[in-house]
Amino acid sequence: MNFEWTQDEEAFRQRLRDFLAATLPEDWERFSQHGPASPALTDYARTFCGRLADEGLLTPHWAREIGGQGLDPWHQTILAEEMWIAGEPRGGQYMNVNWVGPTLIRYGSDAQKARYLPAITGGRALWCQGFSEPGSGSDLASLRTRATRDGDVYRVSGQKIWTSYAGLADTCFLVCRTSDDRKQGISILLVPMDTPGITVRQIPSLIGEGDIHEVFFDDVVVPVEARLGEEGQAWEIIGYSLTNERLGIPRYALARAALDRAVTLLQAQGEFAGEAVRIEAAHAAALCEAARMASYAIVDRRCRGEAIGAESSSARFATVMAERRVCEFIVEYLPQALADAHPYLKMHHQRGIVAGIAAGAAEIQLNIIASDVLKLPREPR
Amino acid sequence: MNLSLTDDQIAILDAIDTLTRPYAGATLHEAGFALTSEALDRDLAEGGFLDIGFDPDLGAISAALVVERLARLPQTVEAAASALIRPLLGDATPRPLCLVEEDKTHRPVRFLAPGATVLLVGPDRVRSFVAGPEHVRAEPEALYAYPMGNLIAQPDDRTDHSVSADDIRTRWRVALAAEAAGLLAAALDSTATYVTDRQQFGRPLATFQALRHRLAEAQVRANGLYWLAMKAASTLDAGDAALAALHAQESARTSVYDFHQFLGAMGMTLEHPLHLWTYRLKALIGDLGGRGGQALAAADALWG
Ligand SMILES: Cc1cc2nc3c(=O)[nH]c(=O)nc-3n(C[C@H](O)[C@H](O)[C@H](O)COP(=O)(O)OP(=O)(O)OC[C@H]3O[C@@H](n4cnc5c(N)ncnc54)[C@H](O)[C@@H]3O)c2cc1C
Repeated sequence: MNFEWTQDEEAFRQRLRDFLAATLPEDWERFSQHGPASPALTDYARTFCGRLADEGLLTPHWAREIGGQGLDPWHQTILAEEMWIAGEPRGGQYMNVNWVGPTLIRYGSDAQKARYLPAITGGRALWCQGFSEPGSGSDLASLRTRATRDGDVYRVSGQKIWTSYAGLADTCFLVCRTSDDRKQGISILLVPMDTPGITVRQIPSLIGEGDIHEVFFDDVVVPVEARLGEEGQAWEIIGYSLTNERLGIPRYALARAALDRAVTLLQAQGEFAGEAVRIEAAHAAALCEAARMASYAIVDRRCRGEAIGAESSSARFATVMAERRVCEFIVEYLPQALADAHPYLKMHHQRGIVAGIAAGAAEIQLNIIASDVLKLPREPR
Repeated sequence: MNLSLTDDQIAILDAIDTLTRPYAGATLHEAGFALTSEALDRDLAEGGFLDIGFDPDLGAISAALVVERLARLPQTVEAAASALIRPLLGDATPRPLCLVEEDKTHRPVRFLAPGATVLLVGPDRVRSFVAGPEHVRAEPEALYAYPMGNLIAQPDDRTDHSVSADDIRTRWRVALAAEAAGLLAAALDSTATYVTDRQQFGRPLATFQALRHRLAEAQVRANGLYWLAMKAASTLDAGDAALAALHAQESARTSVYDFHQFLGAMGMTLEHPLHLWTYRLKALIGDLGGRGGQALAAADALWG
């Protein structure tokens, strides 16, 4: 076991930091507070991702065959950490490079690849993920948005909700029902967001501007060629997408960075001397580092080509514990952070509180750990 | 970064598994509070497993792996201090090695018996002596799954060690975290097996979500603890060690009560072996100032 970064890994991290320092605008910290889905950041991300692409830093972790540099999952982790700590200047485009692109490459038709990949690798595309519905959150397989075959087209009707980036996205990775079979009756359509019949409503939120939306589909006509994979193949494809996105966002890294920032501010104010505040900060740090190490253990296994399953739920829940404790620490000891005194901490708070919900709720992670890590018999349904 | 075990580490852990297999399957019915085994202790010492930390090529990380693996056994052996702290004192130091905070000599001490080395760790000095019968009162009734003794007297001549007390405390924290990681994993395993087998209301207890979620949370803690402990053993950094020990004591505190709770009345008996792990964890919770002590040490190391 070797817990040190290699020279190459350190150099890669430094290169990213140098790039960020040279590229981000001066008022970035205040600006990034608008949230990764805000119009301002979405717009900026096009410029930023274009520069990343020019530097070969947008998709370096993709395999060489698909236009990447074949860098290993450690590099992917370092890239994700540095971007997320910086406030995610890629905006919603991080999804493209993490899983939308690789999924299209694996399952897409030649026409789909030709249509969508250049914009992704050029840093210009913005996708949204149409999975959740008002009646289908954790129980995704109960989804009801219907795609009915009508000759060469599908007619899509239904509603999605909590859809990030939908207001500005150009394409939706839409999961919808093509038959009544619970899991085998679900298919994926790649739908341009300007297709007639789609209405988007932004949902005001606690977590930053423009983040979540309702998307209504009213008899939307989608050509059959827009289907990704076969009819009924969605569950398998989503499974593949998830293996590329198992760990998701490296939230532990921002949580730890926010904690360090909060401590520095408290020290400057002479408010980090008492035992209570020091003890609480250390508890938060321990949870951040536990989450980081649990995540790294999975990255290491990915490097060895091992299949990753339920262990990632354990790392995910560890991250939820860390985010919660850091958020609570800042609310208790630096309450002015939520009132605009410290943009970076405000930005963290907005993103931190969703850790237990977005991309699979915390209790669902615990269910998975119980069944698939601890191998306990399942709950009756 | 590369978190795979080296070939040497795999070989060492395999050898330990082979050596301990007969012990792991021991009949545990009415084992008593602490289950000791002189034969196991001898086998491990003779096999050199407790001296691995002396080999600079294997280092503290390999020693910590050994400590973690041995802690999963129902038997308790003095491995943590020997494997991780003895390398700073010299291989002439007799085992068992008993760690004592200089200002807390009134507390019961793990493995303290005549012939043991007592290491007195003060704020900035480290001294030791070999205990004689006149220094020790056994505590056979202690509610811990370690053999415990009380230090009732000390000799006048104690050996001064020219090691830094801070380095000793760092390794103490690593030792504690590595041992707790193994104990927590084994206790969780034992509890998971019980709730899988035990049926109430016509179904295994393990199918009730109230239990499942708390056990899953213990898994998250045990996994995090394992990695924090190994990282701290690898870096021997004061901050890493304090975070690992903090996570150990906090996780022990939250998990031990739950595990016994989930066994119902069976968890209150000596007929089930769970206590052989949990009542060792209980003995580790108060070391070096408990959670507050680790947290303050971590804050000092991380932020000054
Ligand atoms: C910021 C943000 C961005 C999002 N972006 C997207 C997006 O782009 N696209 C998209 O499709 N979705 C998105 N989502 C939705 C997200 O995937 C869902 O919120 C999530 O899957 C949970 O579903 P839900 O909100 O309906 O909660 P519910 O499923 O209603 O759950 C509510 C609570 O009940 C608990 N619960 C549910 N089932 C069980 C069970 N079996 N056992 C125990 N407890 C249970 C949950 O853990 C949770 O605590 C986003 C969510 C957020 C917060």
